[in-house]
Amino acid sequence: MAMLEPLVPATPKSWYLPSKPHKFCPGCGHGIVLKALGENIDELGIQDKTIFGCDIGCSLLAWNFFACDSTQTHHGRTTPVMVGIKRSRPELITVGYMGDGGGYSIGSQHLLNAAVRNEKVTLILVNNTNYGMTGGQMAPTTLPGQKTETSPFGRDPEQTGYPTKGPEFIAQLTPDSAYVARATVSKYNQLKRFIRNALRNQIEGNGFSFVEVLATCPTNWRTNAQQTWRFLEDEMEPYFPVGEIKSPFGKGDK
Amino acid sequence: MEKVISEAKKAFMTGNETVAWAALAAGAEVMFGYPITPQNEVMHYWTRLAPKYGRGFLQTEDEISAGFTVCGAVQAGKKAFTATAGPGNVLMQEPFGMAEAMRLPLLAIIQQRGGPSSGTVVYSQQEVTLTTFGGNGEGHRIVYSTATHQEIYDYTIKGFNTAWKYRFPTFILGDGYQAKMREPLELYSPEEKGIKMVETYPLIGLPGHIGEGREPQHLCNIYSLEEELYEVVMKVSAEYEAISLELIEYQERECDDADIIIVSHGVVSRAADDAVTALRAQGLKVGCFRPITLRPFPAQALRNVLQKSGAKKMLVAESAYGQLYRLVRQEIYGETVPIDTLFMPGVGIIDYDIMNKIKSML
Amino acid sequence: MERLDRVMEAYVGEYASGKSEIAINRALELRSRGRSVTLVDLDTVEPFYTLRTLKPLLEEKGLQVISFCKQDAFGLGETGAMLNPQARWALRRDGDIILDVGYGVYGARTLNLVEGAYESQELRVIAVINYSRPLTGSRDRIQEYILDLGRVDAIVSNTHLGSDTTEKIIEEGHTVIMHVARELGIPVDFVAVDESFQDSMGLDIAGIPIKYIHRYMPAAMW
Repeated sequence: MAMLEPLVPATPKSWYLPSKPHKFCPGCGHGIVLKALGENIDELGIQDKTIFGCDIGCSLLAWNFFACDSTQTHHGRTTPVMVGIKRSRPELITVGYMGDGGGYSIGSQHLLNAAVRNEKVTLILVNNTNYGMTGGQMAPTTLPGQKTETSPFGRDPEQTGYPTKGPEFIAQLTPDSAYVARATVSKYNQLKRFIRNALRNQIEGNGFSFVEVLATCPTNWRTNAQQTWRFLEDEMEPYFPVGEIKSPFGKGDK
Repeated sequence: MEKVISEAKKAFMTGNETVAWAALAAGAEVMFGYPITPQNEVMHYWTRLAPKYGRGFLQTEDEISAGFTVCGAVQAGKKAFTATAGPGNVLMQEPFGMAEAMRLPLLAIIQQRGGPSSGTVVYSQQEVTLTTFGGNGEGHRIVYSTATHQEIYDYTIKGFNTAWKYRFPTFILGDGYQAKMREPLELYSPEEKGIKMVETYPLIGLPGHIGEGREPQHLCNIYSLEEELYEVVMKVSAEYEAISLELIEYQERECDDADIIIVSHGVVSRAADDAVTALRAQGLKVGCFRPITLRPFPAQALRNVLQKSGAKKMLVAESAYGQLYRLVRQEIYGETVPIDTLFMPGVGIIDYDIMNKIKSML
Repeated sequence: MERLDRVMEAYVGEYASGKSEIAINRALELRSRGRSVTLVDLDTVEPFYTLRTLKPLLEEKGLQVISFCKQDAFGLGETGAMLNPQARWALRRDGDIILDVGYGVYGARTLNLVEGAYESQELRVIAVINYSRPLTGSRDRIQEYILDLGRVDAIVSNTHLGSDTTEKIIEEGHTVIMHVARELGIPVDFVAVDESFQDSMGLDIAGIPIKYIHRYMPAAMW
């Protein structure tokens, strides 16, 4: 009987194979986002000039994920580092990758100022409603009533406000040449398209591009497969509407 | 305020939890913080316990905010604290500086992790310089370096009293090992041990009507003229020096006739202690000196120990690359004892490490 | 006579209550009887004191350990919430399965991360309680804690004060735990006692079996 060759999954060329299989948890949304990003890098032919920046937190697990030049920054500081790189070397395509904490909490001042200045960087923010890597603390996008390690009795909006709607407020700050969208890992083709548009916005030299992606975190949500998808689609999406909020490429795709 | 510990009881806990319970027992009213390993359990426990005892909490957007919200709370007269580590400690230097300038009774627990930058999440003693002299000031801070969970408990309670009595920002300098290790300790209410908690008082939002018995309070941390600043800094420095004698704490063991004196702080002092026991049993004349307050540093005490013992050598052992060493040298300037060093940045030091080093020094 | 049906146990409990220690000892106990045992690391909150550092040692002793080992976690910074994907399918393995379920605000719900755990008839969820820990330091607190955990099939009485443990402390803690267990109708499987007490006078612990524990976890600090 012939020896069966082990099946090797089709992976984007821009993925760095020595760091695979990756360390993201089973059911984590990051893998899906990074696949969409990788496929786009391949299709747009920008592997050589893509600079990938990551934050602290689960996004940190992506620091050697791509076969692209990458840099790990401090928590919340991926945006300014990408800005520094882009302004020094405009021909490079800077992709900043962060979580809800890195973007909407400690990194929020950098995010909003980069938006105001219409910096020609592409930022991808993965929203899974908690600080995953440090053990599940509350995040700006934690839902009301959601239990986390620092909201053990459920998030109280009276005390801590409502979940941050990042793309909405970013869109308000940017001029019309910016691209702002929210995608979800449960709709892969749309996610891929939004990331493509975001990269296009930078490649064409238009302006700022920002994509928030709703993602799963079963490890910290303590959910099984069905509960995980239910939380993403039935609980998160009503709070965080999916679609293009601002696009220079014609009518927004909802 | 409801009594947290009804009667002294021994418990088996981790260092981070100990901070939360000590703060509760000390009557802390609010904690502000931001997640960073290895101090997260201080928040995890505080958030679970705080509602039961009517205390407050906010996870702020970052460490800069956590430090400044504590500054606001203490200005308003509330017993407030925060905890952080590594890069978080770096960020907090800005609010700590404001606390130094405005004489705010802020308490912060620092659980050192590897540095610089993100380093490791584990352990180090690499935040000594930062915690003692960080920010753009003159280091008018009080820093307690703990070595056991009992000390974490004792000094967190004491820390609040020190801060509110002397009005200098006060720090409990721990580390990731202390934060996570499990040890028995005794929990108690301060009253039970005859410890009177210093009353808090507001600096703003004072009672009474403005103009009818009280003046509006105008607090600032900036001055127009260099001379004004000069006066303020000189005055504060004099006050700091004057209280130093009351604040200084240290431990020394087997130094009287020692040939070699080991200087270390925090958990490393436990290893030094064990090393001294072992080396003495082998007939070697070794002693150890442990500063408990790194600020103000027990300089005179160390000088006395050196002079009395006539020690031929000193060994500075730390899980950093010279931070304690620099501090010691600056504080005992003029002493001529040759100083050897055992630098293990970010790595734990056990008694064997120190013993082997001492033997190589003979 | 050795039970032929397999043992599936999940150890849950408060932070630093002794879950990992009990899980390891239990796994080794079963192994010593010639059984095939898999130990699963479900600690997802912090990187300290998990099974990761002990993986090589425990594998040498014949256990299968599902956990990232320390070397694999290197260079990844915080590395707290890292779950080895094999943990998801742990129950599909042959032989005994011991799950070390980390602490967290969701209590026993962490078992959702293991496919089929909650539905499993074979799985027993065992709460480890140390009366010397403040949050489980009184009858009321223990009761509240267990009710908060979610599903609990049995309790392990693990009162100790580290190096300051005395027989009196063990007995006192056990008495309180037993009281709560009876009130909640949950069986107490055994009392865990440090092996240094093996030759002691004889603990008075209401007829519950004693298991002597060797402490592996201090070596697991990081």
